[in-house]
Amino acid sequence: MTQTFAFSSLVPALPELFLTVAALALLMLGVFRKEDGCRQSTLLAIIAMAIALVLTSQLGGSVSYAFGGGEAGLFVMDGFGAFTKAMVLLGSAFTLGMSGTFLEREKIGRFEYPVLVLFATVGMMIMISANDFMSLYLGLELQSLSLYVLAAYHRDNLKATEAGVKYFVLGALASGMLLYGASLLYGFVGTTSFDGLAKVFGAEHAVRPSLGVIIGMVFVLAGLAFKISAVPFHMWAPDVYEGAPTPVTAFFAVAPKIAALALFTRVITGPFGDLAGEWRQVVIFLALASMFLGAFAAIGQTNIKRLMAYSSIGHVGFALVGIAANSVLGIQGLLIYLAIYLFMNTGVFAIILSMRQKGRLVEGIDDLAGLGKTHPAMAFVMMVLMFSMAGIPPLAGFWGKLYVFLAAVESGLMALAILGVLSSVVSAYYYLRIIKVMYFDEALEPFDRQTDRPMRLVMGLSALVVLVFTFIPGPLLVGAKAAAAVLFPAAAG
Amino acid sequence: MIAALIFYMFAAFTVGAGVMVISARNPVHSVLFLILAFFNAAGLFLLLGAEFLAMVLVVVYVGAVAVLFLFVVMMLDINLSELREGFLTYLPTGGVIALVLLVELAVTFGGWAFAPDVEALVQAPVQAAASGVTNTEALGALIYTKYVFLFQASGLILLVAMIGTILLTLRTRPGSRKQKIAAQVARTAKNSVELVKVPTGGGI
Amino acid sequence: MMYVLAIFLPLLASLVAGLFGRTLGDRGAQIVTCGAVGTSALLSIPIFLTVAMEGHAVTITLLSWIQSGTVDVSWALKFDTLTAVMMIVVTWVSFMVHVYSVGYMSHDPSIPRFMSYLSLFTFAMLMLVTSDNLVQLFFGWEGVGVASYLLIGFWYEKPSACSAAIKAFLVNRVGDFGFALGIFGAYFLFDTVSFDVIFAVAPEKAAATVVFFGHEWHAITIVCLLLFVGAMGKSAQLGLHTWLPDAMEGPTPVSALIHAATMVTAGVFMVARMSPLFEYSATALMVVTVVGAATAFFAATVGCVQNDIKRVIAYSTCSQLGYMFFAIGVSAYQAAIFHLMTHAFFKALLFLGAGSVIHAMSDEQDIRRMGGIWRHVKVTWALMWIGSLALAGIPFFAGYYSKDVILEAAWAAGSPVGQMAYWLGIAAAFMTAFYSWRLLILVFHGKPRADERVMAHVHESPAVMIVPLLVLATGAVFAGWVGYELFVGHEQLHFWAGAIKNLPEHPALENVHHVPGWVALAPTVVAVSGITLAFIFYLVAPVLPGLLAKTFNGVYRFLLNKWYFDELYDVLFVRPAFRLGRGLWKGGDGALIDGVGPDGVAAATRVIAARVARAQSGYLYHYAFAMLIGVAAFVTWYMFNAR
Repeated sequence: MTQTFAFSSLVPALPELFLTVAALALLMLGVFRKEDGCRQSTLLAIIAMAIALVLTSQLGGSVSYAFGGGEAGLFVMDGFGAFTKAMVLLGSAFTLGMSGTFLEREKIGRFEYPVLVLFATVGMMIMISANDFMSLYLGLELQSLSLYVLAAYHRDNLKATEAGVKYFVLGALASGMLLYGASLLYGFVGTTSFDGLAKVFGAEHAVRPSLGVIIGMVFVLAGLAFKISAVPFHMWAPDVYEGAPTPVTAFFAVAPKIAALALFTRVITGPFGDLAGEWRQVVIFLALASMFLGAFAAIGQTNIKRLMAYSSIGHVGFALVGIAANSVLGIQGLLIYLAIYLFMNTGVFAIILSMRQKGRLVEGIDDLAGLGKTHPAMAFVMMVLMFSMAGIPPLAGFWGKLYVFLAAVESGLMALAILGVLSSVVSAYYYLRIIKVMYFDEALEPFDRQTDRPMRLVMGLSALVVLVFTFIPGPLLVGAKAAAAVLFPAAAG
Repeated sequence: MIAALIFYMFAAFTVGAGVMVISARNPVHSVLFLILAFFNAAGLFLLLGAEFLAMVLVVVYVGAVAVLFLFVVMMLDINLSELREGFLTYLPTGGVIALVLLVELAVTFGGWAFAPDVEALVQAPVQAAASGVTNTEALGALIYTKYVFLFQASGLILLVAMIGTILLTLRTRPGSRKQKIAAQVARTAKNSVELVKVPTGGGI
Repeated sequence: MMYVLAIFLPLLASLVAGLFGRTLGDRGAQIVTCGAVGTSALLSIPIFLTVAMEGHAVTITLLSWIQSGTVDVSWALKFDTLTAVMMIVVTWVSFMVHVYSVGYMSHDPSIPRFMSYLSLFTFAMLMLVTSDNLVQLFFGWEGVGVASYLLIGFWYEKPSACSAAIKAFLVNRVGDFGFALGIFGAYFLFDTVSFDVIFAVAPEKAAATVVFFGHEWHAITIVCLLLFVGAMGKSAQLGLHTWLPDAMEGPTPVSALIHAATMVTAGVFMVARMSPLFEYSATALMVVTVVGAATAFFAATVGCVQNDIKRVIAYSTCSQLGYMFFAIGVSAYQAAIFHLMTHAFFKALLFLGAGSVIHAMSDEQDIRRMGGIWRHVKVTWALMWIGSLALAGIPFFAGYYSKDVILEAAWAAGSPVGQMAYWLGIAAAFMTAFYSWRLLILVFHGKPRADERVMAHVHESPAVMIVPLLVLATGAVFAGWVGYELFVGHEQLHFWAGAIKNLPEHPALENVHHVPGWVALAPTVVAVSGITLAFIFYLVAPVLPGLLAKTFNGVYRFLLNKWYFDELYDVLFVRPAFRLGRGLWKGGDGALIDGVGPDGVAAATRVIAARVARAQSGYLYHYAFAMLIGVAAFVTWYMFNAR
């Protein structure tokens, strides 16, 4: 059994390999240093992510496989992967950059933090590039395990540990479902390779696939739905978002969500691409339930992190509308939505991280009262972001929703689009309430001045992107379209 | 015939032990039932000819994991009756859901059918022991070549688990005393024993 | 690069001045904005030379903007002769106004904000004139609307300024609604919003019809009329003109820039840009002619009796815009743009001169309380004379060339509406001369009617205000003479290079050179007689106007109250709207909505929210259970849906 091995075959996985090595190096650096270098490790980790970003952008021009011959490879790199990986890397780097000072102030800065974020990011990238249920599962677990630890990172805080345990137990349950579904699929089809599955289902196109396949798919989708916190698999999200340290919450809300949605998309359009008639009902249900629960449940919240959890559940619902459309346009809409979501969310969390009164961290929505007077710039950024999240034209958030709904309409899902718009009207209520609190309520105690440079940078950048997107959406549109087209070779060719 | 009989025996024991794990009143008993379930599962593997997996199951799960569980359970002194308080209230709805799922899965397996062109897709099947290649060798050949990616990724997961454990539990207590072996070994009589000449009748 | 820079420098300056105004200080903001707009103005010259004189029209695609399904819109800058002319006008007038504002607004507490708004306006206007599709045009259109709103309401502590700003916004909204419908119509008809494609396809669609309300309509006519409604709103044509006089509440440089030289001419520009479309609709052109001529006449009559110096000039603007539109109506687009350009110079000059007068008179605007100040402000006086001469169309000043060619074209069109436009135009020209000199005489000549304290204070404006006036005066004197051959003379075909389209059936401009001598002479004659009449009325026998007003009291009041347009709208729209609002508020809001509508929904929302929150118990096994129920539900769904 002699096989020749060429290092060039590893090229598609170069960003992942690089990040892994970087994470290991940082781990060693942290262990053998005497003092605690959280800040330095963070900086190095961000640099590593930037390099990985550059590497990623060099790949993805064409579809390439690694670890295994040809299409049966375990790992695939294509335009879609490059686009979503770039988003994940950006999200991770932003949130990591925001956390440095926070952790230091809370006196929980340790070098393991950036290392764990790096490993989680590697996991996400493996997920995105998965071309086999086995690599999917391992990527997912690598990411999840890092996230469990991060959620409980503030180990002396009761809420944080509770969040960690809840996330871990429920995550394990979801992984179990996923594995069970994958094993059912293997049992009924005989392969775990995405391309293999696609071939089987494509060949079977005329006949309905056996019930076992469908049930297996349902279990897989349920497991994935947990990762994107779609209703009814969302219940962990509010508790974990609230309990975890705020930078970790910011991280949770952005990168893993994008990665999981990308994975969801890949699974649903790849191996299950020919079963659209079967999974569409599930996805539509998940989308509707998420949109409406996200909208209604957020209304009664008083804690802003909890509110963001429901808001992100709602956003996942909107993103799923794009997936339900199952067309190039739909996936393009999804990618645009996610890119905008990335910037909006990091911006909002930068503001949440700046909510300090006399050095003490506050998280209540009421604490934002009077921000319009005490911190006009910050309040302005928040207002822009909230308007954008609510989908008020001409801000970026509006376009994200527009593209998704347009795609749904073009795919004949008129009712879904209409209900989606309705739910976004409901959700506007709580976004606007924040603006009302900021501008029309009397301030009790002003926040401390924000002096952290990266934080201000992130705030300004996010507001800028949200404002400017309307005028120069071109690059994103073109990129998203190219990335989406990769998943539908039939439509393109 | 015999094989089928043994299969059903192992299978029945596995399921039964599994039920007992969650229903036993004493947590120590639960862990012991878990060990029983592992043994039976190992038996099932043996029936399939996967002797390596069977042995690994016994060595790792029974020898390490379950024993660790046992230690933890014994150390923590969990009051199970407290944990079970809600058990009866949730039994009806939980039972119904479980039953529904069970029936549905049974129906699913009733309609077992491979996809038509599956045979071609099943790649690199593990060669039978009769051909001279042992189970372990075959697994190794696959894991270190075709599935090296998965192997490495698993390694990463374990590393993260290790980091997580250390991060969440390791504390440096300032007051605790540790044995510094190197320091002990490096000691010499010269710098640790002081000879004092005591003047007679003067005391120290 | 030069092209892009010329457009985006003002935006950059606006952002810098607006965001960092506090750090920059007043002086800094002035330098940044003036510098940027000045650079734009300088750049516009080479652009004009390359594009218009050498005939190198270019389109620069910046980015693709909306791309969804069949809608494909990009940001692109289109430079042809029409654009180049507009750019020259916009950037230079804007630059002059920027410089002038440095002096005029020197006592204002929020200079950076003002300068930022001005630059923002300039950018929006440039965007408007360089757009290569209807949607981008609409963006610029709304942009100038917003900037105008901000600038009219700049002194927001003045209630009249606020209400004027709101009025301008609302009236423009009516026009914009028509414009937006026109864009939809064009998209519906042509499947695109890009100018080049529309113009290329227009001849094919010349006979297309749409069925609407059970009647077949000529499609292009519908689109053109809707677009024209937009133009009417922005260019203050009869019916939608009421906002323009009120807009004079804004600072005077704003009036000069927006409400004389640039924004109000956007409508003219847009219709000229769409000339390949309008040419195919005789009906639309007829409507344009009638509305334009009526506006020219109407505004001139009102201008004769107004007493606020800025309002007189505002009505004069309105009237001149009427001229431009009826020129378009008889297919003399070139003449309209020509007049647009000359008008921009002399009207900006008049406005800024009026600002200088107001400045000198300690913020007095009523011409009945001025008079006899010419000795004290000689430069301003001379410049106002130049502006008025140009406006009245006295030979060899700019207005003479452009107004004459418009009137001749109207006559030469040979149609009944053309004739009507000609005679209304002649009448308006007479009144124009009359009210211009009425203004000049009342302000500068005769006995001082202001109190002594004000008179003692009368002074010439500083150089920073006078120099822009001089530049504009140069334009007012020479622009007509320089541009005549290019714009409407024998070189026009070569000069416009297809930017404006004339069908052979509409030869008005060609025939201009073959009209009878008296037709060409008449405007000058009436202008001179108008001036003479003004001299008689206000200098020789000042009792006459009062006598006339008494004798024809009804007519006088009718004119003074601007034909009762505001009152009419008040009765027709405003009050019913208020009544409707009140009715809806009491009946609809109180009973219906509070019960079932938003309040009911809000209450229901809160109830649902509370329920959802209760499900979120915090217990781990509840969560796990919910997940299992979810999976079980999905599986069951597929069990029973198995086909």
